[in-house]
Amino acid sequence: MNGIHDLGGRHGMGPIDIDPKQPIFRADWERRMFGMFILAFAGGHFNIDQFRAAIELMAPAEYLESGYYEHWLYSLETWCKANGSLTDKEIDDRMRKLSKGDA
Amino acid sequence: MSSKHDHDHDHEHHHDHDNRSDISLRVKAVESLLVEKGLLDPAAIDKLVDAYENKIGPHNGARVVAHAWSDPAYKQRLLDDGTAAIAELGFTGIQGEDMVVVENTPTVHNVVVCTLCSCYPWPTLGLPPNWYKAAPYRSRAVIDPRGVLKEFGLEVPASTEIRVWDSNAELRYLVLPQRPPHTEGLDEAALAGLVTRDSMIGVGVPHVPNVGAEK
Amino acid sequence: MPTMFPAAGVDELIKTGGSTRVNANVKSRFAPGDKVLARNINPISHTRLPQYIRGKTGVVDRDHGVFVFPDTNAALKGEKPQHVYSVMFTFRELWGAEAAEEDKIYIDLWDDYIDPVK
Repeated sequence: MNGIHDLGGRHGMGPIDIDPKQPIFRADWERRMFGMFILAFAGGHFNIDQFRAAIELMAPAEYLESGYYEHWLYSLETWCKANGSLTDKEIDDRMRKLSKGDA
Repeated sequence: MSSKHDHDHDHEHHHDHDNRSDISLRVKAVESLLVEKGLLDPAAIDKLVDAYENKIGPHNGARVVAHAWSDPAYKQRLLDDGTAAIAELGFTGIQGEDMVVVENTPTVHNVVVCTLCSCYPWPTLGLPPNWYKAAPYRSRAVIDPRGVLKEFGLEVPASTEIRVWDSNAELRYLVLPQRPPHTEGLDEAALAGLVTRDSMIGVGVPHVPNVGAEK
Repeated sequence: MPTMFPAAGVDELIKTGGSTRVNANVKSRFAPGDKVLARNINPISHTRLPQYIRGKTGVVDRDHGVFVFPDTNAALKGEKPQHVYSVMFTFRELWGAEAAEEDKIYIDLWDDYIDPVK
């Protein structure tokens, strides 16, 4: 699709944030998301093309403004909801439960 | 596939200004649910993270480059069949299953990008830096590579041909940088120490040793 | 239905990966040196033919071999294995007469993305 992900040749995307000291993972949730994607792929939730296709459905502003691993979460959720492994309600309920549990 | 722009519920959590704490909580929620349902092994996540955070990285690609600089026959094999030659050194697997190595010369400078997402050769370079995966590099590398290289501190003369490789399929690209001067007689370990990650993407060049370092 | 991938399999998974190369005897439509025109397709579905290449003329640099075709694979409409070529486009072709004279893009195009140019 002619989505925002098709970035080749676009202007106006801003300076390259080089930061040579960038760690591989900037937060623990990025580590977990990285692992989850690979395991979901290996476990047959989606093929690589399905995975990318789902990311391309993100709303354009969200795609550009969110962090890289948020794209992966979006895709993982899309496929888990499509195959019945997860529902939005389950995720929301679990988030509520976890945030109550935290101090 | 129907468009997912319209969630059938309030999707405020995606536009929440408190995104960072929210995303961490959401990932925790998703992981805990998948684990409970027997779809995810958290120990497997730990193993994957350990491999890519601590073991697999550009030091692998540096060894490939150093070996090519030291052994002309290996260099030719590397250019003819990157996958097989890189596998000779034991670097294989996820996001490196089909490798192409492109050589920098005095007249050609290569740069690698993935304009559509973030494709990158993991077994030789590890996971890509954030800038490689973000919109500024992905958009500009194919239209203004000289400007991009300048931002990285690299100036390429107008007479040098720049080749930008857009990794849009499943081939993964590794740049074989030129061997720096003053390196005659250095062993492979010393040569590998000069090879930077950025030089194997094409946004940098290897270090030049101090004159007198060669034996 | 998806399954749980176990920790015990991770080392092997990392080393083996998942190539999309297909061991099938599929005819190629092009050879290195051929002039090709990238198709002007605009699917609403998944494709790996970027907008900046569509409708442009390039030269086949090499034949990578046979791979799964993402446009159909993403929709579970089959792997449709076909040749993928590295195709060279000059900057002047892509970006106009003011672009750098020497510079080139090399991009990987499936058979279904290109047509011959006389």
